[in-house]
Amino acid sequence: MSAYYRNNAYEEDPDAAYYSGSQNHPRGYLNTPNYPEPPDPLNNPDYPSTRRNPYSADSRTGPDYPGSLAEPDYPGSQRNPDYPGNRHNPYAADSRSSDYPASWAEPDYPGSPPNPYHSGPSREPDDSASQRNPAFAGSRSSGNYAGSRTNPDYLGSLGEPDYPGAQGNTTSPGPSAKSNQPGSRRNPESAGSRINPYIDALGQPDYPGAENQPDPPNFWGEPDYPDAEDYRHAPNLWGEPDYPGAENGSSENPEMNREMLSRTSSIRPSFHRGGDGPLGILGREDGDNPENIEMTSMEMANPYSHSVPGAPDRGYVNPAYVGDDGRGQADRDPPLSGHDWFKSPQGQKLIASLIPMTSRDRIKAIRNQPRTMDEKRNLRKIVEKEKSKQSRRILELTCCAQCLNSMSLTYRRVKNSLSELLHSINLWQKTFKVIRGKFGTSVLSYFNFLRWLLKFNVLAFVVTFSFIIIPQLTVAPKNHLQFTGLEFVTGAGYFSDTVMYYGFYTNSTIRHGDGGASYNMQLAYIFTIGAYLVTCFFSLLFSMARYFRNNFINPHVYSRGIAKLIFCWDFTVTHESAVKLKQKNLSTEIQENLSEIRQENVKLTFKQQLVHFSAHLAAWVVSTGVAIACCVAVYYLAENNSEFLANHRDPGAVLLLPFVVSCINLAVPRFYSMFRLVEHYEMPRHEVYSLLIRNIFLKISIIGILCYYWLNIVALAGEECWETLIGQEIYRLLLMDFVFSLADSLLGEFLRRIIGTRFIRSLGLQEFDIARNVLELIYAQTLVWIGTFFCPLLPFIQMITLFIMFYVKNISLMMNFQPPSKAWRASQMMTFFILLLFFPSLIGVLCTLAITIWRLKPSAGCGPFRGLPFFIQSIYSWIDTLSKRPSYLWVVWIYQNLIGSVHFFFILTLIVLIITYLYWQITEGRKIMIRLLHEQIINEGKDKMFLIEKLLKLQDTEKRANSTSFRLEGRDSEQSGSLRVREHIDARDLRFRRSVQEDNPKA
Amino acid sequence: MGNKQTVFTHEQLEAYQDCTFFTRKEIMRLFYRYQDLAPQLVPLDYTSCPDVKVPYELIGSMPELKDNPFRERIAQVFSEDGDGHMTLDNFLDMFSVMSEMAPRDLKAYYAFKIYDFNNDDYICAWDLEQTVTKLTRGELSAEEVSLVCEKVLDEADGDHDGRLSLEDFQNMILRAPDFLR
Repeated sequence: MSAYYRNNAYEEDPDAAYYSGSQNHPRGYLNTPNYPEPPDPLNNPDYPSTRRNPYSADSRTGPDYPGSLAEPDYPGSQRNPDYPGNRHNPYAADSRSSDYPASWAEPDYPGSPPNPYHSGPSREPDDSASQRNPAFAGSRSSGNYAGSRTNPDYLGSLGEPDYPGAQGNTTSPGPSAKSNQPGSRRNPESAGSRINPYIDALGQPDYPGAENQPDPPNFWGEPDYPDAEDYRHAPNLWGEPDYPGAENGSSENPEMNREMLSRTSSIRPSFHRGGDGPLGILGREDGDNPENIEMTSMEMANPYSHSVPGAPDRGYVNPAYVGDDGRGQADRDPPLSGHDWFKSPQGQKLIASLIPMTSRDRIKAIRNQPRTMDEKRNLRKIVEKEKSKQSRRILELTCCAQCLNSMSLTYRRVKNSLSELLHSINLWQKTFKVIRGKFGTSVLSYFNFLRWLLKFNVLAFVVTFSFIIIPQLTVAPKNHLQFTGLEFVTGAGYFSDTVMYYGFYTNSTIRHGDGGASYNMQLAYIFTIGAYLVTCFFSLLFSMARYFRNNFINPHVYSRGIAKLIFCWDFTVTHESAVKLKQKNLSTEIQENLSEIRQENVKLTFKQQLVHFSAHLAAWVVSTGVAIACCVAVYYLAENNSEFLANHRDPGAVLLLPFVVSCINLAVPRFYSMFRLVEHYEMPRHEVYSLLIRNIFLKISIIGILCYYWLNIVALAGEECWETLIGQEIYRLLLMDFVFSLADSLLGEFLRRIIGTRFIRSLGLQEFDIARNVLELIYAQTLVWIGTFFCPLLPFIQMITLFIMFYVKNISLMMNFQPPSKAWRASQMMTFFILLLFFPSLIGVLCTLAITIWRLKPSAGCGPFRGLPFFIQSIYSWIDTLSKRPSYLWVVWIYQNLIGSVHFFFILTLIVLIITYLYWQITEGRKIMIRLLHEQIINEGKDKMFLIEKLLKLQDTEKRANSTSFRLEGRDSEQSGSLRVREHIDARDLRFRRSVQEDNPKA
Repeated sequence: MGNKQTVFTHEQLEAYQDCTFFTRKEIMRLFYRYQDLAPQLVPLDYTSCPDVKVPYELIGSMPELKDNPFRERIAQVFSEDGDGHMTLDNFLDMFSVMSEMAPRDLKAYYAFKIYDFNNDDYICAWDLEQTVTKLTRGELSAEEVSLVCEKVLDEADGDHDGRLSLEDFQNMILRAPDFLR
């Protein structure tokens, strides 16, 4: 009824001129096709498919009501001539029965007034009846559902005094409504009337009876509709002249339940998501059917909410808001619908999307649902049931399906227990928890890094052990050297004749027994080391890429980061004092940040800037100078080392070089960190980064100098078995580094604590220097990578040292340190560390080893490559041998055409460059897109604020104007009271109003 | 193994396993911790799904939560009725979300709820004030607090409606890599 009125009102409305049928029709028509087709909600993104579900739900309330009835919700559909009239019929049938209040509500619903407008007349008589009824029923429905929340809202909206559109009733709608009113009358009209509306937008001519009945109220008073009085108000709303088109829809429903609103809007996104493919359809159909009464009551409660989405008829939906609401809905949903959420269309969508997943993905998806356990469990149950149903359908053979089912179940159980086992193997779980609880995630990142490196070394050890060391051990000659114990320190002596060093390995083919499998040590050596390094390269590359993706998504946007400070409370910190300390640090940091913001505008004077600049420059010059000096010192020391060793018979003399290097590594970084007293960085992060760069420069250049010394002096000096010598050197360096770290942790940090707590109280406890410690790890790992070629057992040694280091550092941390005071960007630092590990470190190692293998002559008397001109010669000769065997020609072909071919690499490089370029372009495009979207969001926000203001103003004036007339009815006044209370909620539906506004610039 | 059978049925355990990020063993451990909180209240047999709630006072005294400035909010967000009293399911949910294995967007979602003190699905200035006060134990002056809130809104409020929606929040948090590790 109300809908009908509305239409009429429109006609009367001068603004309605633009409704000149033709305009409206196409529009409505366009919309309609989407409605009737449940399977592809995607076609009409603007269309809140959700509505349909609620509707159908409503309709279902009536037991007789077929699910298909949902359509009537889409007034547009009625207009659609293609639409089978049968739908209307059921409607009509129901319409008469007062039990279907939900369906009645529709007219209010899709805010597209033109729709009801056209549809009213156009429909079959039954249909129009149904439409009209709804209005009544709607109001009545509230009566029926006394307990439901709906009622108050609904009434409220109806009674709202803000919508004086009542005139609409008295004018044209009155008569027309009247004519529609009696169901019987409609019938006769039905045949002819339908056509007319299309031709002529004005529905009135179709209803000649309208003129006869100038008095609409009477008609309301009809005995069939005892609540008719209420309805009168409803039409008012609709008829309001100020809101042409969709406005009616939206303006009518200021009171919409928030939940309802959110529900409707939220479902939309879910539909988009889930509406893919046949499954989407399936889910959707499910959605309609199982729609149960609980849902209904909820939705019914607020029939208006449905109408709001009508705005999309205008073709405008702000994606940002939609998304927003969708999520918001998700939030609200669980408490709201409780256990039944999965019966909602959204839930159905979810279920439908879950079904085709593999069980692993499904479990993952279920786990990631932000729902309560109960809901998740139910979801799981339903999905499993569906799944089994489906599989049964597909397989037909039940026994087979069962068999498969039980198999998959067993598989899952086995996997579960396996993962449990793996989990329990995972090292140091508990310790990690303690560290995190006391020091937060930033400090933990150091230990994580340590554990990560440990895994790397375990892998290296397993590989080298199984492919190099074990085969060699089976043919190991007896070691005649004497073991004194000093070897542990120097790595020389007894050890040089063991599997530890390169020199011990044989160059022969290992063969046990006659005709047994042969094992070419030469190839095994080069391939194992090569495979290990390649594995390291790729795993580092991938984890680096992952870190970059996760941590540098958008680093510049929130660079100031007060918000981050506040919201990034480390929930893992559980220790009481740690929490207190953290709170204290946080407040200091916030204060600092604030003062920074306050002083932001205070520009430094030129003089100050000069001072800053010169301080930085001086610091960089000094630090670089120190690094270079250290390198030079190490170089000369190394060069003169052999002479020095020749003079000193003491076996401990070999430790001089490693000792000096370790001293440099210990002292210089601390010297660097003192620069902070001179340099005043504005951002603490800059300080950390510059410190890191200086330190890494120092360490890498020292290693570089050492490599130069080894490859250009030791290797060419003609020493016997120079590879073993290099291996020993690296071993000593690592060992010395380890000892220094141990001493530093146990002694230095302990002393520092004693000093800080006993003597110079002002120093306090020190903070754990993550950067320095991580750099030490990187330094050691670089040495290990280089050394693996010369000393295959090195990963094993490093494994042990890391293991010990973990405990030592852990104990020292617990005893001597306090949590870091700065909010560390642990993740970004971690990315940076891995980048460092990759770039100067691993790449440098690969270069060094490449030079060794391609350029250097292996020592003639020892090692697997003895007698060859180059290490790589072993590969060449292997290829030569293979080329003589026809069955291995493919290997030769691959080698010659892919690995050995310059052209292949040239083309490959070209392709990679092209792809990179394309991706780069795509990224650029996306950047622009992101910027535009960001701007749009901001604009939407402004619009929203503007509209809220406008709406409030409008409401105020209208309320003042109409309050008196509506006070007469007790219920109404009640409603308006509730209205006022709910006013703040209104903002939610503003986006619909906004679209209205756009469409109605005249207003 | 024998223990597990008496507490949960096989299906129950499996469901828990599928719905949380925990292994069987961890679930059992968590159950015993839950049971330890109120030994008189919580039965040792959960096969019949008894409707038991452990009051907030006990939940909040757990070492994991005891010192957390947001403990009350956490308990409220995860409890069924928002009153902080927790069933075993809620309890497992809470630990599941808080565990390292939980993905960040799930955490962000719950964090948003935790920070949304008045449950209006927006983090408004008032919510922010509460947060800041809790975080700094009231060490900031009122003026500073309001300045902070203003700044936060300034930074993170994408649509400039004066409050943070879940969308805004996720937008900010998911790009902050250090969030809730």
